[in-house]
Formats: sequence, C-alpha cells, structure tokens
Amino acid sequence: MANLSVNICGVQFKNPVIGASGTFGFGREYNELFDIGEIGGVSTKGLTLEPRVGNPTPRIAESRGVILNAVGLQNPGVEHFIKCDLEWLKATGTRVIANVAGKTLDDYKNICEKLDGLVDMVELNISCPNVKSGGMAFGIKPQSVEEVTRYAKSGLKATPLMVKLSPNVESIATNALAAQNGGADCVSLINTLTGMAIDIERRKPIIANNTGGVSGGGVKPIAVRMVYETAQAVNIPVVGMGGITCAEDAIEFLMAGATAVQVGTANFTDPYAMPKIIKGLNEWCDKHGVKNVSELTGTLQLNQR
Amino acid sequence: MKDYNAIIVKNEKIAENIFSITFDVGEEAKVRAGQFGNISVGGTHLLRRPIAICKAEGALITFCYQIKGEGTQKLKTMEAGTRLNVLMPLGNGFFVEKQERNVALVGGGVGVFPLISVLREYGENKQINAYIGYRNQNAVCGVEEFEKASKFVAVTDDGSYGAKMNAVQAFEADLKKGYRPDVVLSCGPTPMLRALKELVKKENLPCYVSLEERMGCGIGACLVCVCNLTNGERARVCKDGPVFNVNDVEL
Repeated sequence: MANLSVNICGVQFKNPVIGASGTFGFGREYNELFDIGEIGGVSTKGLTLEPRVGNPTPRIAESRGVILNAVGLQNPGVEHFIKCDLEWLKATGTRVIANVAGKTLDDYKNICEKLDGLVDMVELNISCPNVKSGGMAFGIKPQSVEEVTRYAKSGLKATPLMVKLSPNVESIATNALAAQNGGADCVSLINTLTGMAIDIERRKPIIANNTGGVSGGGVKPIAVRMVYETAQAVNIPVVGMGGITCAEDAIEFLMAGATAVQVGTANFTDPYAMPKIIKGLNEWCDKHGVKNVSELTGTLQLNQR
Repeated sequence: MKDYNAIIVKNEKIAENIFSITFDVGEEAKVRAGQFGNISVGGTHLLRRPIAICKAEGALITFCYQIKGEGTQKLKTMEAGTRLNVLMPLGNGFFVEKQERNVALVGGGVGVFPLISVLREYGENKQINAYIGYRNQNAVCGVEEFEKASKFVAVTDDGSYGAKMNAVQAFEADLKKGYRPDVVLSCGPTPMLRALKELVKKENLPCYVSLEERMGCGIGACLVCVCNLTNGERARVCKDGPVFNVNDVEL
C-alpha cells in the first residue's frame, strides 16, 4: 500500500484524485454508486451568488474521443449550497472545494467571503467558456487574472484559493504566474477548450449555445503540455486535469508537475472512473516501488534535443 | 442503480432503422415501467446512450433503439456474447395509482417502447388502451406486445398500416365516442406531446409524459439534460424525470 495522500497548500487530501467541477454535482448522485468519502476531494458545480438557470438545451454533444458541453453555470446559488449540501458533503469525509463564478470583481469577493472558513478550498472559475458574463472575460488577459484573483483572495481569511485557468489564451503559464502574483495559493488547469460540433443535416451547431467546452480523453496531450509549462513557471502547487481516464493518465499529469488531478468527463463514460483511478494509482506505485505518490510530482525528464 | 457488465443475448432488427437488444445482466434487476439504462458502446464514444427499457424479464433486459448516429451504428453491429456496461435502472418511471383503472397509452416513433414496459407491468390488472403512431408500415414494431392491451389502435402518417392519422388523433377519436381513461401516459416526438397536452387540457385528463434529452452523466449530477418547468425552474430529465406531469413541463 503506497501512501496516496497529498498536501495542497496546507490542505491534506487522502489521495490526489478530485472530482472536477460540473461533472460531479455536489456528490450526492455518485454517492449512490460508491462512497465518495474515498476520493480525495470534490470540486462542486460552479456556484454564483444568485441561482442561475443556465443555457437552453441541447447542452452536450459528442465528437470522437471528446465531448462538448455548454451548461452555462446552472446552480442553486451559494446560499442554497451552504444550507443544503455543504454539511452533507463534508460529512462524507472528502475534501470540499467550492467552485465559484461571478459577473463582477465584487461578486468574486462576496462569494469568497460567504464560503471563507466553511470549505476546504475555493476554486475560482474565471475560465468558463459557456456564459456571456461570469468567468471567461476575467480569465483571458494576465492583468485581469491577477486582478480578479486579488479581489477573491481579499474575501478569504481562512480558506486557500485555487484559480482555475483557461486554455483558450495566449499563454496559460503567463496567466498562472499572474494568478500567483494576485495571491493564488494554487492553480488548476485546464478548463475546457472552446469548440463547435455541427449537425450537417440541420446545418446548425448541435449545442444550443453554438459553441461548447471540449473535454475528454482527446484533449489530454494538450492539457499535459500546459500543466508542464505552468509547473515550470510558478512556485505554487498545480492541480492538473484534462482527459484523465485511468491511473496512467493521472501519473502523466503528476510527472508533468501536478500535485493532484481532477477527473471530469471520465465520470460520464464510467461512473466508477475515480475509484478505479485511485486503485490503479496504488497498484502502479506498489509495482514501481513508489512509497508516496507525492514523490512523482515533477519527475518528468525531457528528452535531450 | 448499478453498472452492469452485461452480456448481449440478442441484437436484431425489428423495423426499418429500429433494433432490439437484449442483455443478460446476471441477476434479477428491479425495474419500473418507464425507467431507462445508460449503455456504453465503448471506443471513442465517451458518452453513454440513454435508452428506455422496453422489457425486464428477470435478468434479461431488452432495449429498443433507433439508428441515429455513430454510437447506435456501432451498437447495431455488436453480436451476442459481447459485454457492454449498462448503468440502470435510471429515472423515475411511470406510476399508475391503484384507483386508476383505465389507462390510455399514446405513443409515437421510438416513444412506443417505454409504453410497452407499462403494458407489461400493469396490463394484467388494468384496462389499457394503446394508441400508437408509426411513420409508415416499415416502422411498425412491438405489435405482438400492444396486441395484449385491452384495445390497440395502430395508425401511420401515410395510411400504409392502420388509418392515416397520428396517435393523438386516434386517441381523440375514441374520446369523442365516450372513452374516458383515468390517466394518460405518453412518449413520443415533441410535436405529438404538444398536441396531446392541448387535448388532455381540453378534456381535463391527468397525463404523464416521458421526455427525451441529450444526457451527460445520466444520474443527475451534471445538469446537462434539463427541461423547462412551467414554474420557471429547470428539472433534470434523467433524475427528476424522464416522466413528468404534462402540466409541469414546457414542451
């Protein structure tokens, strides 16, 4: 039995596998299939100050090896989450990461103040590609990444801040550095890549929102490269995601520099994906004489060119 | 709800573009009429295919599906003996109350298959009339099941099998003759459901409809497959549905 626990800016996770925001709700549904207390953490569905109804349907499409989604931050609002889901989720024993989004800088600060001290970590969603306001606009330019991070951080006294980065930018490593300068305790990446899938019979995009965020196994090499570049640029922990489907995928991200990983789309393909990845990580570590999974982080050796 | 590593027992064409696939899930599965399964076709298809359960006979579960895209094209080629993961049973299903003795089924297209499950679950103890619409004679299927109903009216859009009308018109014709069910259960294309909604409103009949939507997780976590409720809220088709009171949903 390898030690799978990891420490991300002072928060201890029993293993480095976290349910990615938007794919895992608040954990209740997956808990009907397995004990979600066994996974490292859950990043909640993106929360906003007020409830949101999200985008029209269809909200999802499939393309070979990937999916596209545009849910548009449908959520019951942060107060409802605190009142109805938070205690239950904490009691499962998993780490609770509240994913938050806003329309204005003040929104980000206010929502962080509401969650400060209540959750294990706040993940700043400044990279949702599927809403007109609330996210992506803040996540593009390094200056605005730094600014929104600073605002959010000012609302947090007790809870560490993770900033989730968009890959739809000039340089994700530069933006990661901007988040670090703004006071981020760690960064997570990648959010989805903006894409489009067309129904050729109707000559219209399949998704009502026209574009959607691309995720799933097909995006993994892009995500691994971005995690590597980001880990080289910053000195805060990096949480990697993008197409992780099995333990071997997760190990790639750890080697590229991630301290932990998030799993999203794979939950749709196989609802037991996360418990299987945790089991697989343990087996791989045992087989390779790795006593602590944290030893793998950043151990990538580039080929000599 | 369980993710069964199920073995295909039979996978055959039953009408134009419609296939029936039977799995052995290895144990008796408790399934309610109108529930569905989320079938993994594997490979590069990351999303499962949510398909209504047509028959549940002990460990044998039958789904009927229309060939629509790459996923169902692939499913169609899968032979007996192949194992696929099937997450089921999902959704709320149809409930028929004890005092509801007379049930009308109104179905069209692939929507006829969840109605077969109603007939199988409640057929023995209820008076069930089935009004089923098909595109044309080549699309006709499930007849051997619907013939077990107290009354079965099959119609087609082009009149090539039964009368030339749709299922709602067939149902309305019987209402005009004095037929009055305690509850109406329906599944089919949205225009059909809209027409039915108008009719049952006029006739003041309770009615439940099973909806279809593109899904992500299939278990209520991802909020992909929502429908609009008349109260302005949104409901998850996979978890809060797929069956809704017709008055509660916008069609």
